[in-house]
Amino acid sequence: MTTTAIEVRGVDKYFGRFQALDKLDLTVPTGQVAGFLGPNGSGKSTTIRVLLGLIRADAGSVRLLGGDPWKDAVTLHRRLAYVPGDVTLWPNLTGGQAIDLLGRLRGGLDPARKKDLLSRFELDPTKKARTYSKGNRQKVALVAALASDAELLVLDEPTSGLDPLMEAVFTECVLEARARGRTVLLSSHILSEVEKLCDTVTIIRKGRAVESGTLADLRHLTRSTVRATVSGDARALEGSEGVHNLRVDGDTVAFDVDDTHMDAALRTLTGLGVRSLVSNPPSLEELFMRHYGDELAALNGNGGAAA
Amino acid sequence: MSAFTGTGTLVRFILRRDRVRLTVWVLALAGTVFATVPTLNDMFSTEAQRQARAAIMDTPTGVVFGGPGYGLDDYRLGPMVVNELTMSVLIALAVMSILHVVRHTRAEEETGRAELLRAAVLGRGAQVTAALVTVSLVNLLIGGLTALALAGNGLEAADSVAYGLGLALAGISFGALTAVCAQVTEHGRGAAGLAFLVLGVLFMARVVGDMAEEGGTWPSWLSPFAWVQQTRVFHDLRWWPLLPYAVLIAALFALTYALAGRRDLGAGLVASRPGPAGAGRLLNGTFALHLHQQRGSVLAWSAATFLFALSFGSLATEVEGLLTENPDLVAMLGEQGANPVEGFLGVMSGYVLMAATAYAVLSVLRTRTEETSGRAELTLSAAVGQVRWFGNALLVSVLSSTLIVVLGGVGMGLSAAAALEDSSWVGTMTGAALAQLPVALLFAALAALLVGAAPRLIPLVWAWLGYSLLVSMLGPVLGLDEWLLNLSAFDLLPKLPGEEFELLPVALALAAVVAANALALAGFRRRDLATV
Repeated sequence: MTTTAIEVRGVDKYFGRFQALDKLDLTVPTGQVAGFLGPNGSGKSTTIRVLLGLIRADAGSVRLLGGDPWKDAVTLHRRLAYVPGDVTLWPNLTGGQAIDLLGRLRGGLDPARKKDLLSRFELDPTKKARTYSKGNRQKVALVAALASDAELLVLDEPTSGLDPLMEAVFTECVLEARARGRTVLLSSHILSEVEKLCDTVTIIRKGRAVESGTLADLRHLTRSTVRATVSGDARALEGSEGVHNLRVDGDTVAFDVDDTHMDAALRTLTGLGVRSLVSNPPSLEELFMRHYGDELAALNGNGGAAA
Repeated sequence: MSAFTGTGTLVRFILRRDRVRLTVWVLALAGTVFATVPTLNDMFSTEAQRQARAAIMDTPTGVVFGGPGYGLDDYRLGPMVVNELTMSVLIALAVMSILHVVRHTRAEEETGRAELLRAAVLGRGAQVTAALVTVSLVNLLIGGLTALALAGNGLEAADSVAYGLGLALAGISFGALTAVCAQVTEHGRGAAGLAFLVLGVLFMARVVGDMAEEGGTWPSWLSPFAWVQQTRVFHDLRWWPLLPYAVLIAALFALTYALAGRRDLGAGLVASRPGPAGAGRLLNGTFALHLHQQRGSVLAWSAATFLFALSFGSLATEVEGLLTENPDLVAMLGEQGANPVEGFLGVMSGYVLMAATAYAVLSVLRTRTEETSGRAELTLSAAVGQVRWFGNALLVSVLSSTLIVVLGGVGMGLSAAAALEDSSWVGTMTGAALAQLPVALLFAALAALLVGAAPRLIPLVWAWLGYSLLVSMLGPVLGLDEWLLNLSAFDLLPKLPGEEFELLPVALALAAVVAANALALAGFRRRDLATV
């Protein structure tokens, strides 16, 4: 058994003149849940289609479960299950028929688990697919994927049509899959979902991975937010190295600090007589905003960085 | 707010949205009329030529695609236009009207676009009214241009107007009929299918009525296909046969609104029922999946072709009867070296072939829809190779078009055998239909090649198919050169039983089919799947 389920190195993909992937790197260790983050149009689905051997990379190397996804597509696909971001089904098949069919095309599915998933996702399998809403079509693909015994689950924005209750069911199901030793690639732009589920995260922008590692690694590289109530004059922190965005309001102070300078900042702070202190690690949202902040700023029409 | 609020806006919106589509229909149909009228004049310039042509129009095939035969004894330009052109133009107008109305009523509801519009300030009846108004406008425009073309070539003005108006009213009748069908079924495809079925029945009613005696009998009067010609334009004009159109259109409009008032947006009068909670044992692979997707269409096309073939085969006795009454005709057809019954059935099995070809192409092109809709992506993400998925789709297309051809041949053979009391017709006609099958397979293989290797060129298949249909139906009338006629695929292979079977062209066609399909599979394996 390989220890990396997915290994993408320097992959380029062009559609005509448009470059969808630009020397993309992506590694997913076996048995982990890997988050794949990026806004719409950043190349997430293109990467997944390359991984599934549906389109061919123009340059670079791709290994999936130890094989070449383009050449060995059929044998590799017996070992994986895929949920597309926008599920379209056969209008005249019922949900239950589509689930069984997909299971059979993959080489089998566990009927007991299918039954369990249908009730947890509250999906009526006797309805024709044309009558399903987007969320219900997504449930069909999710049940088919989760009821299979695939080693690798490739999920492309799987919760975009689900309500919060169903999102919670989905979260449980992914955690159970990991507990069974499955590998999961979860593409998403919902940060809280990735934060809850993923061991590692890759952030992609314009077809290029701009950040990747464990959540802890990523946080280490960055800033935390500190909020404190002090007796002394907090302006003493002004100009300290690594302190950003200092706001003083009476005896309350809030600032962001680079994790490498946290120690020095706290020493200064304790010298001022701390009465209360809250320090938050950066949320994934903040990490994300740092990479996309300039786009956001441009949208908001102000020049300042968002983080 | 009345039920019709917003109709005017929608009418303009439809005209804007379909400006290319509708312009093409108008130019193609009016253009055919403009081109044909002078050609007819040139081709049949002497009295003798015209009467020879009239004799052909008096044959069974002539009645099927000509009409009740008014004015054949004095075959001048006017009667020629009416006998040679009416059925083709009427069928084209009916097809245009059916597609247009389905597109702007049921198909809109199905996609959910109607919901978006209905939520705005729009009356309940506005969408169907706008569809009917636009279909009427387009039909009247084509009818008006036709009247102009005829009057411009020196024909009587009143008759020209009656003829153009009759064509337009017939087209509008089919639009109104489709509006009713669109209320009944939940899906655009179903509504169009139902409308086409009624079209076929009405066409056959006219054929049966007109075949019985010159001028038509009661079954003709049941059909909007007949009323235009019953005005006896350019022969002995009478206006009142246009009245049934007005009555029919008014009745269908009223029925549409009554039915529309009884149902919810998006629902049909025939509700959909829950289906099985799991897949049966047979639905276990891509071949089964493709077949399952198409079984309704295959059944409908097979049944329609079989019934068409049965009804035309049964006309074989009428053909014989006409010949015993008209020894001159026997002499004329005899000179062409063909048994007239064989000739008639050979021409009719050409129409079976056209149906099978159209289905084969539609069946292959479904793979493209599967691909662009994202369903192919889901299927191919399972343990299914591109070659197997695409190859099975091609196999389903070959098998279903073969089934249609065989049923057409058997149907024609059975009823001809019953009518002529000679059972050997079953084998003869089945063989005749099968001998033409490679043409259908050739079109399907071309469609496959384009899907596999050059999806952007797919419209080429339709262009060639459309050209071939036009040429094989109107070619002689259009006065085209021999080489242009030969570009029609339907004339590639000999038409049995009137003509002799030849091995070489059939073998060449089959070799081309195999090669094109192999290239199609290789191309599909090599290229990227289309992304949504």
